[in-house]
Amino acid sequence: MGRVALRGIRAHLVRFFLSVLAVALGVAFVAGTFALRTMLGSTFTDIVATTTLGDAYVRGAHEAGASTSGFGGVSRNLVPLDLVPTIEAVDGVERALPDLQGPAVLVGADGTAVQSTQAPSFAFGYDARDPALHLVAGRAPAAADEVALETATLASSGLALGDTTRVVLAGEIREVRVVGEVRLGSALAGATVVFVDTATAEALFAPDGEVASIGVYAADGVSQSDLVARLAPVVGADAQVVTGEQLRDETTAAIEQVLGFITTFLLVFAGISLFVGAFIIANTFSMWVRQRTRELALLRAVGASPLQVFTSIVLQAVVVGLVGAGVGVVAGLGLVVVLRRVLAGLGMQLTGRIPLDGFTVLVSVLIGTLVSVAAAAVPARRAALVPPVEALRDEVTVPERSLRRRAVVGIVLLVLGIGAVAWAMAAPGADAAGARLGYGAGAVVLGVLAVSPVLARAVLRVLGAVLLPLRPVGRLARGNVTRNPRRTANTAGALMIGMALVGASAVIASTAQASTSAIVSKEATADFVLRAPPSSSVPAQALDDVRALPDVRAADSFASAALRVDGSSTAVSGIDPAAVGRSIVVEDVAGSLASALAAGEIAVQRTAADDRGWALGDRVTLTGESGTRTARVGAIIDSPAFGVPVVVPADLLSDLVPAAQQVVSTVFVTVVAGAALDDVRAELTATVRPYVVVTVMDPEEFVSELADQVDQVLVILYALLGLSVVIAVLGIVNTLALSVIERTREIGLLRAVGLGRLQLASVITAESVLTAVFGTVVGLAVGVALASTLPTVFGDVGLRELAVPWSSLLAMLALAVVVGVLAAVGPGVRAARLAVLQAVSTD
Amino acid sequence: MTSSVIAYARSLVKVYGEGPTAVRALDGVDVDLVRGELTAIMGASGSGKSTLMHCLAGLDKPTSGSVVVDGEPVSEMSERRLTKLRRTRVGFVFQAYNLVPTLTALENITLPLDIARRPVDADHLDLVVRTLGLTDRLGHRPTELSGGQQQRVACARALVARPAVVFADEPTGNLDSTSAAEVLGFLRRSVDELGQSVVMVTHDATSAGYAHRVLFLADGRVVDELREPTRAAVLETLGALTGPPRGSA
Repeated sequence: MGRVALRGIRAHLVRFFLSVLAVALGVAFVAGTFALRTMLGSTFTDIVATTTLGDAYVRGAHEAGASTSGFGGVSRNLVPLDLVPTIEAVDGVERALPDLQGPAVLVGADGTAVQSTQAPSFAFGYDARDPALHLVAGRAPAAADEVALETATLASSGLALGDTTRVVLAGEIREVRVVGEVRLGSALAGATVVFVDTATAEALFAPDGEVASIGVYAADGVSQSDLVARLAPVVGADAQVVTGEQLRDETTAAIEQVLGFITTFLLVFAGISLFVGAFIIANTFSMWVRQRTRELALLRAVGASPLQVFTSIVLQAVVVGLVGAGVGVVAGLGLVVVLRRVLAGLGMQLTGRIPLDGFTVLVSVLIGTLVSVAAAAVPARRAALVPPVEALRDEVTVPERSLRRRAVVGIVLLVLGIGAVAWAMAAPGADAAGARLGYGAGAVVLGVLAVSPVLARAVLRVLGAVLLPLRPVGRLARGNVTRNPRRTANTAGALMIGMALVGASAVIASTAQASTSAIVSKEATADFVLRAPPSSSVPAQALDDVRALPDVRAADSFASAALRVDGSSTAVSGIDPAAVGRSIVVEDVAGSLASALAAGEIAVQRTAADDRGWALGDRVTLTGESGTRTARVGAIIDSPAFGVPVVVPADLLSDLVPAAQQVVSTVFVTVVAGAALDDVRAELTATVRPYVVVTVMDPEEFVSELADQVDQVLVILYALLGLSVVIAVLGIVNTLALSVIERTREIGLLRAVGLGRLQLASVITAESVLTAVFGTVVGLAVGVALASTLPTVFGDVGLRELAVPWSSLLAMLALAVVVGVLAAVGPGVRAARLAVLQAVSTD
Repeated sequence: MTSSVIAYARSLVKVYGEGPTAVRALDGVDVDLVRGELTAIMGASGSGKSTLMHCLAGLDKPTSGSVVVDGEPVSEMSERRLTKLRRTRVGFVFQAYNLVPTLTALENITLPLDIARRPVDADHLDLVVRTLGLTDRLGHRPTELSGGQQQRVACARALVARPAVVFADEPTGNLDSTSAAEVLGFLRRSVDELGQSVVMVTHDATSAGYAHRVLFLADGRVVDELREPTRAAVLETLGALTGPPRGSA
């Protein structure tokens, strides 16, 4: 039986080509994701291994909020610089180097900020005793107006040793000369790194004489644990000592966690692709079995057991899975190699290691095979149950099985799903509502997939009616897509899934944009907005310059940081109390934001108050890197403009977090009465130009910039969903091509009674378009309907204005028609080329 | 050429394959098919009878020689013109798989007219349908029809467009004798009552007995001919050609 199976697959390789391709594409996504993870993981662990060389580290003993710099993890209270001499005095310590670093903006030779692919930009204090740093050329920076640049940074900046340029350090702009080139031990993944002399670094990054940590290097013969034991007694209660090994492990673990999120995110999309691919495989095998009914019956008649028949089909599925997975692994790795080249071209250097490991290969091959076998199992079972007597029948008639069971299962799933979604809508806001919506949406999608054959018959009859005037093409095409509704539904189902996600994403995106626009127009009263790009801040000095302009009445910055609030890490915004009413209008639920901030009290969002049990007048403990304060909840607000749960006075935030660790991405500017807005805009633009990264916008531009950010996310989602849509289209090609083979005789008959080649190709094109449009219409309908519940369920987090992007949806529908036409080209040409006589006399 | 000849072939040669393995399926065939007659083509398996019909109908291209149907040089036609010919001048009835399963009986019958985008002559359709006894079957799908009914629908389809010639390839090959008799009787009536010209390939002497004329093929040539044959006369001629009459193979 094994031989029969293998011969079968070899003789009909063409039939399985698209199934193999479907597996290959899905597996390539999986393998690529793992390889990417491995590559990123090894890049970042290399950075850790070559930059974190200390034998022990002294750091704060108390955890603050989530870290906003470096590799994630948690930030801690700062330790005093005074500890350095104390530590160096301990026996066995060779040297102690404080961690002097902060955000930086480097202006390159072309006058723009040096930054690649959104990687961060840092300045470090250069200490010649630091073993991680290797001076390659020039000399070390020795004065406040000198810097050294990391090798890759130097290359991408276009600067040369001896050039002068500008850097923005700790919110101040300064003219500097590039005096040296410094190499770190590994590729830096595109980070921009600037070195300044230690005195400058201390002044800029430890203005209060405190740093995040101090690296300690042991004298020869002193082990890491010895060193920790000797240091522990001298550092005081607010500091702790850990071995270098432990810090590196912690950092690596934090990196792994972040990469884990990315991997999971990507794997979700890979999973969708594989799921969609399974439809192709299932269709291929079920058509294969249907066509070979007589051969299978013959095998049964000569004594093969049902199990043997089943096994032979499953064996073919295994071959399809293995071949597809093999191709997929290679393609996935190739993809990552290409990605690395592309990123390197953009200035993001990643490690040179080939990201191939046994785990990736094993998991990929296993997944590919499992998907293939699972998809073929149902057709294989049907094959096993073919009665031997079928072999003797002249005409093989495969009775169309009843759709009742699928309809019942589908309706049950739909009812449950819709019930769950309705429940989520009835009780919005609570954590459980999101889960209910998620499960409900999943059940609805599965339910629609289950009832789709029934749906196909009804919907296609209506859709097909449009084509009826094209006689006989319309009638034939409609007949063909409705004759086997299960097959049509499976083919369209693959597209349906992709399109449901596309439709939902489109609705969510336009809802987010409409909501943002509504929030800005309702809550923001500023005349202009200053914006810094992601992972940088509006420099403090720029803010001072803007405030100094005579036409500017006020410039209110929104600083954010992560603090530990009542024990858990929470995003916090700090604003000047005077900004309330001047730059921003907020709906007070209880108390008043303006008077609360003026009194040094904090405000919390209504949802946060519900979740965390805060009430007006409660005292809340806030812990940052620089200290701990308790504050009274003076207001409960409902303001989506603050995307954070807690708002505090700017002074309080500065007490808790050093200015360098606060992120100021937005500044609202109001002008004095009577000033000409165009003139003020010109002044503002001229003022912030030296800081390179800051842009001036009016509120409309601000809204469209936020909308652009949403669009960027949407583009990424579309790209990730694109593969599953491509696979779905391959599924249409597959079904058409196989049904042309299956219908050879009928096609011969039609041609014999005079159907022209073009008419025949039109029939196949019409089938293809009907299938694609059916999948798209149902998919979009499901996606849009589910996404439309979001404003009800998630109104609290800012999605309040439902907006359905009808024009995008219509474009999708038009795209479906185009896709349908394209998918029909191959099968259509193939069908038109069939010789009439041979076709009529095929068995 | 007299107008009583609806189609003819001259020096028709068909060779399959090349070199030493080449097979001469037709070896210089000359036939005239008379308008308004039911002509049967008979012969043993491999005698070339199917090939002759395929060449006459424009389904296959002869290696040499010419075929003219209703005044049109079929053997010289492009695929595009052949398609047009099949739409308007020629009707087909095959042994099996005659009907498109997704269309109803009526839709199958009018399919050639639909393809040609020609109007349906309701009176003629009604006449054909009534003659074939299909009036109450028109809404059925092929799978809901018996084998005999399916072949009658196929006949109706072949006739409804009033083609110059109907080619029938073993039209009763898959039918029981009662159904076969119905179908053959109808083909004969279509000739006698509607003036249709029909060419039928068969290996069955009873079927041939319905014809006006029987052509006998052997080894790619026309070797004999009978007018107004009886079953006995056909069997006798066949016996003379091939030895004892064969069964149904």
